[in-house]
Amino acid sequence: MKKYLLTIIVIFGLTSAVSADTIKATVNGMVCGFCATGIEKTFRAQPEVKTVNVDLENKLVTIQTKQGQTLDDSKIKKLLGNAGYSVVAVARQK
Amino acid sequence: MVMQENDETGHTLSLDYTFIPTNAFGFYIKQEENGKEILMVTPEFNTLLKRWNLPDGQWNIFNMSGAGLAHYRDNTQPCLWTAFLADYESRRWFFSYEPRFVWDGDIEKSFWQRARVGIAPYLANYNDLNTWIMFQVDHHPAKHDHFVATPLIRFFYKTYLFEVGYSSNQHIMVNWQIQF
Repeated sequence: MKKYLLTIIVIFGLTSAVSADTIKATVNGMVCGFCATGIEKTFRAQPEVKTVNVDLENKLVTIQTKQGQTLDDSKIKKLLGNAGYSVVAVARQK
Repeated sequence: MVMQENDETGHTLSLDYTFIPTNAFGFYIKQEENGKEILMVTPEFNTLLKRWNLPDGQWNIFNMSGAGLAHYRDNTQPCLWTAFLADYESRRWFFSYEPRFVWDGDIEKSFWQRARVGIAPYLANYNDLNTWIMFQVDHHPAKHDHFVATPLIRFFYKTYLFEVGYSSNQHIMVNWQIQF
């Protein structure tokens, strides 16, 4: 039983280590297509990022990272701050 | 970004490169009309001085400035111009105010100001066509029509902006802008 549990933990751990992140940042100040384009350009330039989507209605920037890579909260806040926007919250799921 | 404005003040072409998100450097050409037909050619520098981000909108203060040459008839002079733009934008409302100062050597020194209000009749997302109904008032102390009102419609799709209007002094306005 112990071996079985250990195997599950190891497999789960390995899967988590190589999986991608889906990050949802709630952002203040996004109002138009020019805002969205600027934000998309900023994140597409990051090597860790696979896709980025801006939802003006829900004030969300959704970033999907490449397999095994991530973007930490401080980098997300810095990138959006430098682009001229304020991050309210960051939520992520594997 | 490339922007062209054709309105009752004349024709303007701007080509700008945004080297950091808050600053752009470029090239500005303006052929003035409705008064002295002055041609201005300058490099320009645009900067976002301050932004306040709100849950449903943003306040901004920009400065745009240029220094170059102005030409009128056979007279070419050094010129300087600077403008401040304060605006509030949400997905529903738009308000702006822009005072502009122009010094064209001994050709002309002028000041004009512009205010705009706009409303979006429906809330569009990034991938939708955005439509705005706007009203613009220009005040030109140096020109014949001191106050000029221009109702206009703005269409906005992703990085393409197009405006068309008709001014109280009977000029068609056609503006467009593309961001790269």
